[in-house]
Formats: sequence, C-alpha cells, structure tokens
Amino acid sequence: MKNRDTRFLLCSLILLVIFCTLTFSFFTVQINTYNADTISEVGTLYMSGLNERITMHFGTTIDYRMSHVEALVDLLPEDGETDASLRSQLAYNAEARGFAALAFYSADGQFDTLYGSPLKVTDPEPFRKSLNAGEKKVAVGSDSQGAELVLMGIPAQSSMAGGGESVALVAAIPVETIKNIMALDEDNSLVYSHIIRKDGSFVIRSADAYRDSYFDRVWAMPEKAGDEEEIESYIAELRKAMERGETYSRVVRIGGERQHAYCMPLPNSEWYLVTVMPYGELDELVSSLGRQGMYMAFAGCGLILLVLLCIFWGYFRIAKRQMRELEQARVEAEQAKVEAEQATEEAERANQAKSEFLSNMSHDIRTPMNAIVGMTAIATANIGNEQQVQNCLKKIALSSRHLLGLINDVLDMSKIESGKMTLNYDQVSLREVMDSIVGIIQPQIRAKKQQFDVRIYDITSENVCCDSVRLNQVLLNFLSNAVKFTPEGGSIAISLSQEGSPKGEEFVRVHLWVKDTGIGMSEEYKKKIFESFSREDNTRVHKIEGSGLGMTITKYIVDAMGGTIEVNSQMGKGTEFHVVLDLERATVSESDMVLPSWNMLVVDDDQQMCESTVASLGSIGVTADWTLDGESAIKMVKTRHERGDDYQVILLDWKLPGMDGIETAREIRILMGDEVPIVLISAYDWGEIEDRAKAAGVTGFISKPLFRSTLFYGLRPYTGEPEAGMEKEDEKQLDFAGRNILLAEDNDLNWEIAEELLSDLDLKLERAENGQVCIDKFNASPVGFYSAILMDIRMPVKTGYEAAQEIRALDRPDADLPIIAMTADAFSEDIKHSLECGMNAHVAKPIDMKEVSRLLTKFLK
Amino acid sequence: MTLQECYAALGGDYEDAKGRLRSDRLVQKFVLKFLADGSFDLLCQSLEAGNYEEAFRASHTIKGMCQNLGFTQLQESSTQLTEALRDGWTPEAAPLVEQVKADYQKTAEAIRAFESSLEA
Repeated sequence: MKNRDTRFLLCSLILLVIFCTLTFSFFTVQINTYNADTISEVGTLYMSGLNERITMHFGTTIDYRMSHVEALVDLLPEDGETDASLRSQLAYNAEARGFAALAFYSADGQFDTLYGSPLKVTDPEPFRKSLNAGEKKVAVGSDSQGAELVLMGIPAQSSMAGGGESVALVAAIPVETIKNIMALDEDNSLVYSHIIRKDGSFVIRSADAYRDSYFDRVWAMPEKAGDEEEIESYIAELRKAMERGETYSRVVRIGGERQHAYCMPLPNSEWYLVTVMPYGELDELVSSLGRQGMYMAFAGCGLILLVLLCIFWGYFRIAKRQMRELEQARVEAEQAKVEAEQATEEAERANQAKSEFLSNMSHDIRTPMNAIVGMTAIATANIGNEQQVQNCLKKIALSSRHLLGLINDVLDMSKIESGKMTLNYDQVSLREVMDSIVGIIQPQIRAKKQQFDVRIYDITSENVCCDSVRLNQVLLNFLSNAVKFTPEGGSIAISLSQEGSPKGEEFVRVHLWVKDTGIGMSEEYKKKIFESFSREDNTRVHKIEGSGLGMTITKYIVDAMGGTIEVNSQMGKGTEFHVVLDLERATVSESDMVLPSWNMLVVDDDQQMCESTVASLGSIGVTADWTLDGESAIKMVKTRHERGDDYQVILLDWKLPGMDGIETAREIRILMGDEVPIVLISAYDWGEIEDRAKAAGVTGFISKPLFRSTLFYGLRPYTGEPEAGMEKEDEKQLDFAGRNILLAEDNDLNWEIAEELLSDLDLKLERAENGQVCIDKFNASPVGFYSAILMDIRMPVKTGYEAAQEIRALDRPDADLPIIAMTADAFSEDIKHSLECGMNAHVAKPIDMKEVSRLLTKFLK
Repeated sequence: MTLQECYAALGGDYEDAKGRLRSDRLVQKFVLKFLADGSFDLLCQSLEAGNYEEAFRASHTIKGMCQNLGFTQLQESSTQLTEALRDGWTPEAAPLVEQVKADYQKTAEAIRAFESSLEA
C-alpha cells in the first residue's frame, strides 16, 4: 500500500519533469525559429525600403544634375552655331554648377571638351547608341588623370570645335559626389551598397571592395567553403533577375555568415543597386535574445519544477503521515478488538464461574438444609425421646451454623461486588483478637486432633487501629481453611509479630502467618485462589464444603486495609499465608502495668517465643531466664535452689519435646516444694488438662498468645495483692466528689431514677426540665460551676440537640464543657446527630452506671 | 402481691430493674411513681388533637421510663409506636396506639393491684 503510493508519486513527478522540460524546450525552439523568420522578413522589408530610398535618391540626384545639363543645353542657339563666347559661358556655368567637366559629344563618339580635362567613356557603346537615338543617358567614365566620373548626356545639336555636329552635351561629376549624396558608404550602418553593371562589374563600390566585379568579390569571400553551391545559385539567380530588369531579394549564407542581399535596377542606366546586410551581428543579437529567452524558459521551468517538487514533497509527507495514522488506527482497532475479545472471554468466564458457583452453592445450601429439615422431622417424630431430640437439635444447630456461614459469605460477597463493604476503624487490642480467634478455633482443632501453636513476638503496640470484626474474619478464614484442609494429626500454627512501619512512627507493621501441614495447593490454583467462586477442582476437595468465597473476601478485606497477602504452598506439604498490614498505633497509653521484680523462668520449645516473652516480662519489671526443654529447666531450677536464689514464678509450656510441661512441673514441685507458683502456658483449652495439671502441682494457667497484658493479668494473681485494677477504678470514681452536674430531663420518673443512680457517684446533680431551662441555668451559673451536662434529647420547648448547639455557641470560657447525650434512641444516626450538635458522647437509656461513670471519668479530667 | 408478681403481671423484667436500681426499695419506689407520670395522658391527648410531634415525644418518654423500670411489654409496644410516629403519622401507628393503650392498662392495673396489696 505504502510502496504503491510512493511509486505513483515518484512516477508522476518524473513524468511531470519530462513533460515540463519538453514543453519548454519546444516552445523555446519554436520561438527562436519564429524570431529568425521574423527577423529575415523584417530585414527584407527594411532593405527593400532602403534600396527604394537609395534608388529614388539616385534618380533624383541624376535628374537634378540632368536638369542642370538641360539648362546649359537651353543656352545653345537654335541654329546650332556656337561661338567662342558661348563656349566660355558654358564652361563658366558648368564650373559654377560643380561639374568636373563639360563636352560636346559627336555621333561617332568624339568629345569636344568645353571645360575640364578630356573625358573617356568606360563602356562607350551603349552610351553612344542611346545618345545617337536622342535619349538621355548616364554612364561611367574617366578623365585624363584616370579619376572616375559619372557622365550625363543630353541630346543637343551644336557645332563642335573640331568641325562636325554634336549629338549631345555631356557633363561629368565625380563618382565621390554621387557616393556621398547617396550615402552608399555609411560608416555606422551595418548595411553597404554597391552599384554594378549587368556583368557584375562595379560602377560604384563601397566599403572595402577593391575587385572589379561584384561576382568576383562574392567568390572571393573568405571561409566560403561549403557554401559554393549556394553562392553559385545566388549569382545565377541574380544574373537572371538583372537580365529581366527585376528586383531580386535573397538571404545567402556566405562564409558561415548569413547575408541579406537586395538588388534593384537604377533608372536611366544599365546599373543595378545591390544592398547587402550581413546578419552576423544581428544574428548574434537575435541568438543572444534567443539564448536569453531559453535561459529564462529554463529558469522558469526549473522554478516551476522546484515548486512542484516542494508540493510533491509536502504531499508525500502528508500521505506518509496519513498512512502512519491509518496504520496506528488499524493497530488500535486491532488492540481494541483483542481487548473486547478478552473482555468477552472474561465476562464469559465470570459468568461460567457464577453458574458453577450457583450449582455448587445450591448443593452446599441444600445439604445442611436437608439436614435441618430431616432432623426436625426426626425430632418431631421422637418428641418423647429426650436423647434423640437432643442429638437432632445438636445436628440442626451445626447445620444451621454452617448454613449461616455460607449465607454470610454470599452477603459479604455481594457487598464487595456492589462496593458497599466499608471498614470501621476502631481501637483494637491484638491480644483480644488473638484470644478470641484461638477460643473460636480451638474446638475445631481439637475435633480433628491437630497440633496447634500460637506464637507472638516483638510486639511493640498491643493496641492498634483496625476493623476488629474484619480482622477476625480474615484470621478465622485462614485458620478454618487450615483446619479444613489439614488431615487429622497435622499441625497448624498462627504467628504474629510486629516491626517498624515504613509509613512512619505512628504506624506499626503487623505480620501474621497461618501455617499448616495440609494438602497444599497446585501452582495453577495458587494463581486464582483469590478469584470469586473458585475452588480447587479435584477429588481431594470435593468432600470439603465451602462457598469458595472466603479467600476472595479475605483478599478484599486485606486490600481495603492496605495490606498484602502472600501464599506459599506445596502439594501435599502444606500452605502458609502471610499477611502484612500497616496499622496505626492506638493512642491510648497502655496503663502502667508493673509486676514485682521477680526472677522468673520461661520454658518453651520455641526460642523466638522465649526471647519475646522474656522481653515482654522485662518491660513489666520482671527479670526472666529461658530454656527450651523440661530437662534443662529442672537443672536450672535445681542450681538456683541450691544457691538459695529460687525463681519466684515459673512459666511452663505444656507441649515440650521429651518431658512435657506437666511432668516438668511435677519434678519442680518435688525440688522446690509448694511455695513457688508454676504456671502452665498453652494454646490449647485449659479444661482438658486441668485435672492432670492440678494434680501435678501446677498453680495456674495462661493461654497463648502471650502479650504483655496477657502476662500482666495472668501473673498478677500471684503478687499476693488484691485486684489492683479494681482499686484504681474506685479511686477514679472518688474523683467526682463534689462536682456539679447539670442533668436535663423532662420526665420526673426518669429524673428521679437518674438522680438516685448518680447520687452513688457523690455528684451534685441539678435538674433542668427542658432544653431551654438547661441553657438558662448554665448561663446563670458562674464560670466553671458545672463540670458536665447530661442531656436528654427528646424534651419539650427545646430538644437536647438545640440546647447543646446553643450552649456551644455561648460566649463563655466554659462553653466547651463536656455534654453527654442520653437517649432511648440507639440509632447510629442519632449518635451522629448528637455529635454533630457539639455533644461529646452518647449513652443509651436505660442508664448504665458503668458507662456513665466511664464517660465522666474520660471527660472530667 | 410481691413486686416480682407485679412484674410478672405487667410483663416486665424484675431482675433487669433490680440490677439497675440495686434495691427492692428503689424499684418499688419508682414503680409506684410510674402511675403519677403524665406522659400517657399527654400521648392520648396529643393523638386526639392530631399533634403527632407531641405524641411522638410522649411515646418516647414512656419508652424511656419503661426501659429504666424494665417494663418489657409496654416498652416494646411504645418503642414500635415511637418509630411509627418519628416522622409524623403513619398508617402502622393506629394499631400500635391500641397496643400501647392495652399494655399501659395492663401495666397500670398490675401496679394498682400491687399498690393496694401494700396498703392492705
């Protein structure tokens, strides 16, 4: 396509160039030819005009001179007798009229000279004949000195000096006079003329002619080579024309130079006037004109070609660009097509996945539903058999829980797909999250007789900002998958650790690992594990129920939290999920948890766990050693015991390599007696081993994971002090003593109840019956009198919202005092509205004393 | 008639009330004061007068008192009525008004019976 266009452009360009050149050349040649023709025509015209003028001039001159001679003839008497006085009078007159000589001419051709030197006719015969016939005649002659003269004879009878009768009077004038008069030899003109006789001999020659014959002169022209034939024909034609007495004109090439010759007979003589104009210079002028014309033409041609070239070049570039754009458009269109195909394919695949999901789901839903319906029927039939009914109810409960799980997944998924899932960030204690997860998953793990371990280390912030529900969901999903896909006796571990976050000081990077020794995943499945409705499709998993949405939801939640999920899995070996989240550290300071400066021993088979626990203990004031197994622990205890520097508390992991925790505890008891608390730590349920552990002398139990706070609260009972935390709370409540609180409540009964309850806090309560009263009372009080306002919302005259807004707008330094809303509306919109109206917090009715005192503690500093 | 029997008669949760108010004495004191409260009358009058805003507030107050006192049955019907009246009159409100009236009568009768048993 491209080549064809280019070739077309190139061909048309070349054709155009050739056409232009040819046209211009042709026109130039034509014009030159016309020029030459026109010039020769002009030459002919000019020369005929010139010749006529010269001929006329010649005629006039001769006539004029003839008239002079006739005037002399008139002086002759009638009788023809001429005396001496007449002769001298004639001679005088002839001299006066500028004649060179004057003579009588006899019939036999004898001159009787009257004046000047004797005359001689060059060609006497025709002259004599004409004069004898009584005609006027002009001829050429010469005097005794040989000077050339023009002779004019007029018939006149007179007696001659030597006797006899004359037939004519002949006067002579010098040839030079004629030449001058006729301007035959003009210097500044290109043209020159000769007067010749019929035989070609010169009568009057001009220019540089020195030969006797014009024909000889032509023949003798230099460089005539190659032109002989032309010259010959020229001379022949000229002769013929002269015979006939006609005018003759011709352009002849002589010596490489063109000449224009024009011949014309002269009156009253046998002579011809030949005017020659050489074309040499004219030719040069014309050819230079032609050359100039040619140059101009070629320059014009070149210019036009240049412009054309420019236009072509521009056009070529436009065409090329268009072609490029076309190509680009084509490529884009192809891409779009491919994309569209991909999109269609994807849509089809999604659609297929959805239908597969639906068929799976209908199966998955039908199974527990069938169980529920069936069990209900069995229970109804056996309503009297308590054992049977209980069994049925248990199965129904299980099935419905499973069904609920499926439905929840589907609902979550639809929320995600419609983009409605949002995260509710709040302060979350990782300890609580881990505790609850472990609590939930433990029964399942126990049911499948799997090993379970929880590890935490390097925890710098127990409290973080996160959506606890969703975080729970993520961890539960990983764990329940791990339990599901790990065979009986396999092991599952969850680990949690923290490190500095690249997002800054206020953030902490949280690593979560969930590892199992389950069936693992294929490489292909690993790639699409997070896609909706996907489940690995092979016989290994067909027996395992699930919606196939869990991982999608998990992935979405982690993405929404700004985290990442990594999967490591090997078929038959197990799977590890690694979640990384950057969470904001919660602002609350972990209240000063300090234990007595005990010496403790930590025994766990996981070294990282030991180190982390020892560090946590160090941060709450406890010095601790650690070891990895029961045997070495006993050795260490023994050594210290012998030194009299016993450990004050011993933390023992239950599952230990070799001697387990309970056995170790038994040995230690034997060594140290009953004094020292021995505390068992484990991720398993305490209930299972309680009896055995107690019998072995274990004092207490702390469940993993071991956060700082877990350790603090777990170990505090062994300090021998009463519950320190409770005391603190009591102390805090005492702080309220004597504080004035304004309570806006319109209903008497509610007011009395509130008063009754709040009086326990030693607060001084004052009532405002409605919003307006509340504002007035506050406004009338001295600055700082009221410590806080408890505000009912639905009140006559002015609502709690309005009252709060007005109080906030008051120009008082204490207008920012704490206002706590109290209402029976527990809708989040109401809470939001009350916060928007400037209130600090919201408590729901009926009044919960704990909540109220917590909020008052928070706001009354 | 004991306080517990009274609560049972009016469909309330005695434990809840006692948990909040912490003594029989206080529970009894406030239960007896319940009848003196004008909110129910205000509710009836407002409904008749077509002042649904005021009716909403009165219903809301009844709901709040019931929550405080643990009068579960009346609390439930008054809560529903409150919601039905929150944005003005709605068709659902009509049967709820009757329900609240019935529950209130039941509550009031139980309290009166308890009151008279005290006096006796």
